[in-house]
Amino acid sequence: MEVLDRVLDQYNSKVYKNRKEHMVKVNQHGSNEIAANVRTIPGIITQRGCCYAGCKGVVLGPIKDAFIITHGPIGCAFYSWGTRRHKAKNEEGVANYLQYCFSTDLQEPDIVFGGEKKLKKSIEEAMELFKPSTIMICSTCPVGLIGDDIHAVAKWAEKEYGIKCIAFSCEGYKGVSQSAGHHIANNQLVRYVIGEGDRQISNKFAINLLGEYNIGGDGWETERLLKRIGYEIVSTFTGNSSMEDISNAHKANLSLVQCHRSINYIAELIETKYGIPWMKVNFIGIEGTIETLRNVARYFNDPELTARTEAVIADELDAVREDLAYYRSKLKGKTAAIYVGGSRAHHYQFLLEDLGVHTILAGYEFGHREEYEGREVLPFIKPDADSKNIESITVEPDPAKYHLYLSEEDLNKLREEKLIDYYGGMVKDMKDGSYMVDDLNHFETEEFLKLLKPDIFFSGIKDKYVAQKGGVLSRQLHSYDYSGPYSCFRGAVNFARDITMGIYTPAWSYAMAPWKTVPSLEGELGGEAVC
Amino acid sequence: MRGTLVNLTVNPCKMCMPMGAATALYGIKKCMSILHGSQGCSTYIRRHMATHYNEPVDIASSSLTEEGTVYGGERNLMQGLINLIKVYHPEVIGVATTCLAETIGEDVQRIISNFYEIYPEYRQVTIIPIASPGYSGTQYEGYMEALYQIVKAVPMNTVRHQKVNVVTGQLSPADTRYLKTILDSFGLDYILLPDLSENLDGGYEPEYQKLPAGGTDIREIGKMAGARMTIELSTFAGETKSVGRYLQETYGVPCQVLNLPVGLRDSDRLLKFLKALTGREIPAAIRKERARYLDAMVDSHKYFGEVRAAIYGETDFAYSMVRLCTENGIFPVLTATGSKGDRLKELIREELQGVSDILNIRETIILDEVDFQTIEARAREAKVNLMIGNSDGRRIAGKLGIPLIRRGFPIHDHVGGQRLRILGYEGSLSILDEIANCMIDRKESSFRDELYARYYKKLQADISMQATSVKPAESRTDDRTQSHPCFNCKAHKYARMHLPIAPRCNISCNYCLRKYDCPNESRPGVTTQILKPQEALQKFLEARKKVPYLTVVGIAGPGDALANFPETRKTLELIRKEDQDITFCLSTNGLMLPHYAEDLISLGVSHVTVTMNVVDPSIGAKIYGYVDYMGVRYEGEAGAAILLTNQMAGLKLLTSRGIVCKVNIVMLKGINDSHIPEVVHKCKELGVTMTNIMPLIPVKGSVFEQLEPVGEDELLAMRKACGNTLKQMYHCRQCRADALGTLGQESFSIAVASRSGIMVDQHFGHVTEFYIYQYHNGDIQLKETRQVEKYCDGSLECEEKEDRIGRIIHSIADCNAVIALRIGEAPREKLKAKGIQVFTDCDGIEAALHKAASKLRIKAENHMAK
Repeated sequence: MEVLDRVLDQYNSKVYKNRKEHMVKVNQHGSNEIAANVRTIPGIITQRGCCYAGCKGVVLGPIKDAFIITHGPIGCAFYSWGTRRHKAKNEEGVANYLQYCFSTDLQEPDIVFGGEKKLKKSIEEAMELFKPSTIMICSTCPVGLIGDDIHAVAKWAEKEYGIKCIAFSCEGYKGVSQSAGHHIANNQLVRYVIGEGDRQISNKFAINLLGEYNIGGDGWETERLLKRIGYEIVSTFTGNSSMEDISNAHKANLSLVQCHRSINYIAELIETKYGIPWMKVNFIGIEGTIETLRNVARYFNDPELTARTEAVIADELDAVREDLAYYRSKLKGKTAAIYVGGSRAHHYQFLLEDLGVHTILAGYEFGHREEYEGREVLPFIKPDADSKNIESITVEPDPAKYHLYLSEEDLNKLREEKLIDYYGGMVKDMKDGSYMVDDLNHFETEEFLKLLKPDIFFSGIKDKYVAQKGGVLSRQLHSYDYSGPYSCFRGAVNFARDITMGIYTPAWSYAMAPWKTVPSLEGELGGEAVC
Repeated sequence: MRGTLVNLTVNPCKMCMPMGAATALYGIKKCMSILHGSQGCSTYIRRHMATHYNEPVDIASSSLTEEGTVYGGERNLMQGLINLIKVYHPEVIGVATTCLAETIGEDVQRIISNFYEIYPEYRQVTIIPIASPGYSGTQYEGYMEALYQIVKAVPMNTVRHQKVNVVTGQLSPADTRYLKTILDSFGLDYILLPDLSENLDGGYEPEYQKLPAGGTDIREIGKMAGARMTIELSTFAGETKSVGRYLQETYGVPCQVLNLPVGLRDSDRLLKFLKALTGREIPAAIRKERARYLDAMVDSHKYFGEVRAAIYGETDFAYSMVRLCTENGIFPVLTATGSKGDRLKELIREELQGVSDILNIRETIILDEVDFQTIEARAREAKVNLMIGNSDGRRIAGKLGIPLIRRGFPIHDHVGGQRLRILGYEGSLSILDEIANCMIDRKESSFRDELYARYYKKLQADISMQATSVKPAESRTDDRTQSHPCFNCKAHKYARMHLPIAPRCNISCNYCLRKYDCPNESRPGVTTQILKPQEALQKFLEARKKVPYLTVVGIAGPGDALANFPETRKTLELIRKEDQDITFCLSTNGLMLPHYAEDLISLGVSHVTVTMNVVDPSIGAKIYGYVDYMGVRYEGEAGAAILLTNQMAGLKLLTSRGIVCKVNIVMLKGINDSHIPEVVHKCKELGVTMTNIMPLIPVKGSVFEQLEPVGEDELLAMRKACGNTLKQMYHCRQCRADALGTLGQESFSIAVASRSGIMVDQHFGHVTEFYIYQYHNGDIQLKETRQVEKYCDGSLECEEKEDRIGRIIHSIADCNAVIALRIGEAPREKLKAKGIQVFTDCDGIEAALHKAASKLRIKAENHMAK
């Protein structure tokens, strides 16, 4: 029996049908169509989070001087307190609230009589205690139901205190995963923040780094590399960023998009409004980084910049070559399964390939079809009720701030080449016979690990221990297990060291994986027809 | 710290009900739980539990979407139940609600009934509804509610048997295992509810079990109604939902509530109870454990007296820790819980009596429904030196530089949370040893410094003071200082202009109310219109036309000049372009001075005033509420230490580069008054030119509102005493951030020669005492009476020291005018030369003041017009 069927067979027919559409055995000559960004099946333990998690936790959380008040009962604020390793550097004049957790801690009477009053009072207290220059209000499930008008409260606060106050209606039940929260956060940042800055940018190689949250310092390493070549990073969305950085994003000449899923709305809206095209990049993996650097240099089309790019690539490579060769010798031929994010499961395949590790299964928690199959499928995705519930905003070109670095003609050429404004998804980079599984749940994780027996499973803390109980090394790609950075050249070495250490840790030699003692059935049943 | 600010929770010390419910359900055999709500709740809770237990945590969700909020979640919940059953084959399913389900009013009991009707084949699965909205309580209430609902939902067999029910609050798996060992050692037949011992601390097995194989069997739970009795190991379960009470009231099963067996007394109590219950002797092994614990209590007691512990967490946990501390002579100066804790407060007060008498510590803080922000402030205030609680306290421990003994839930920054022990003699001993070792480590790492500071530091300071050869301040006053009214008391005729371009501040002084201008530099209680740099330039250009002798431009707030450095820089650059000669002067609290000293020098700032009230962080902690440095807020001594380190480093940097520095010191009665000479000494070491000791003018609404201001005589005495060390400023006007003109011009200071205090009735030459009035926009205020003799006794370097007239003139050198009955020609000329206007009058003082003021105003306006 085929691996997919062996997993699916344990479901009832309804679930079988649903889940089957989320699983693809990659065939570069076939369609590889996958179901994604649709409702989670209740009762099957998903690793997905909620809308609030995507909005507050992912996109807004890393902005260091945003004073984020979680409006709702205490749990959601507590659970999103300091759980993501988005690092930020302290700087004078920019408050850093990343160590804090603020909540209105709604109680039963507030649910009955409304929580607006408490929210207002909380803002008053925030102003008295901290004097933040920006307050963000993020609502949790009950707030949308009891009808608190958080947007009106935000307007009141702006007027009362002369600060920026933005409300995010990111109730947990909206959408089908974190993805809805990304969208809501993107909308409000475009609406209320981007375009307001007036920083003077003199460097024409000015870029935005979108979808980089500086987990474990990834953003810092990427920034170091880009600055070395001569780029100026106007803003990073949103790792290590301040509101001021974000407000100046319209000053760049190109947006680089690392995590496509969480930030593509902003990338597109910035292009429409300010004329700045975006380029999907990948700073994870040696080859990926080199290709990215060359692509960016091509866009800017400056001989000196191109020469510097090559010189820096050569130098950075020199510094890591020996280490990487050693780790590659230890890791070559190993296999990996990756289940994370809305872009990471794609990025890390490049780095693993650099190390000789073959990815046999990859999936996203909250990716849409375009992250699997590429943006060419966008016209064919019919919005369902859940996506329609998330506001989609449109913008017009801003006559005063619209600027083009290249001519329309040149841009169109690059578009044709799919160098800008395009993302091809992960499937094109996967080998025939490997698997894509969307919204891989707790149960399937265990089943796939048993059947595919990868040497490493990359995921998060929730499924880490399932894998390791099954004898498979598991590393968290959400938090990097207190390690990192993993980006660019130096990061690749950190990553290689971490997984080499993991695979060869002596504990495994004392603990036998179940299938190493129990004979596997796969060989006997291989090639059987799909039922 | 926060006082009445109770709406905004800053760093919560509690979690929500579903977390507790999910934890309790993990102690039931072959039980799965599903949270009815949006999937984020499950994901978040699994993430937190997995990080604490280092185990897989399977909690399902009904994954409600927006549609569910409109049409109800029945379909989702049913489908979730089917899938759970199909995939996991559980015997029990706990359905815990969330905020969402409760807000839309889901009737879970009804949905379960419908479910059984539609799917009779699943009737063998016991489905338990638990109402656990996140807004109704903390994880503690959620846990107790879950146990209560489990017992209520499971069909009970009332046939009597010899088993004993044992019900516990949330324990670590390791503690649960220990409890079972104890119960087993008495040969007791018991039903333990719940039993987390295996499910959340599994070993490495060849095959991972999806469905929790350990835990309390539901068939056993069904027998609880027929048990001999219930032992409820939770002091506070009765405050919410008590399984023991329920079984007693419904089935007549007697219930004995005991404290958690933590520490000697409560462990003894449980063991004695078990002994009586079973008629068996306490096993020898346990008696040995007790002996070792007692031995350790004796051995380590000497370390305990110095502990000032802060304990926080769930009520049962907090109370047990308090009792463990008190029986060891440790005083918990602070106990806190995020839950409601009326009874906890009562019990702790009783508990503290004994140890309070031994240690003679009376003050203790007990907080309930509290967040970590408040705990931190109170811990600082209570001088806590050790914390006991979950890992969320690590931020406070880090900030206060004190150890944290991790116990309770969650432990997210260490591994092994599931193996931490508190129960029994052994668990208690593990805590006791940790406490003792923390105190030993603390002593070991600090006693050398402390003893050195006590016996040698002062001596050292004296020596260094003698050895430092700082050039006399006077010799370094250059031309600019000669024409700077704030630095030279003889520079009256020169005008200075303060540009209010700096609204923000980066520290909080307890004598300040932030809605007003910074009182370090400005008259307290006034506010200033903020100018943009460009506007400031315009104002300067206009003023330059009008005001003669405008020699100085200063930035003095209304916040802190360096907390607004871009604006400060821009303003100075703009003005410098227009005027090459103007003197730049700047006032600051000094926090950012080391960062910007070089910039200030290159901008051409020649005079800097720093307000430095202390040179000792422990005193500074009483003056500064917080210090915002590099985006991070520091409070207490940590904040004060950063501030004064930077002040001193900044001053040194500036003086070494020839910048003239003045230090303002606000004299605060009972706080820094006796410390000021040390500050002045330090200033001298740092090469500061002069210090300006200023009185506190209490601002209503500030922390120091009630602080008694120092009297004029105390202030003068302090200035005089410090005058031996360093030059003192006597003529400070404490002016506004937008002041313009010669010192005091916008409001006149007028000396009146009067004996009666009612009429102008004295000859200038006969005055022994002046009445000094402040005239401001028609308001007259008596500021002080000034003794001529007293005033002139100081070590002042003003020239006229010898003759009496000279002394009189000197005593009012800071006034704009003087009103006397009559005055001789010579003194009149002398006063004129000093820029002091002379008026003769025989009217009542008030009338005379108005007349004089109007003349002064006309004079000033004429001056400007010219």
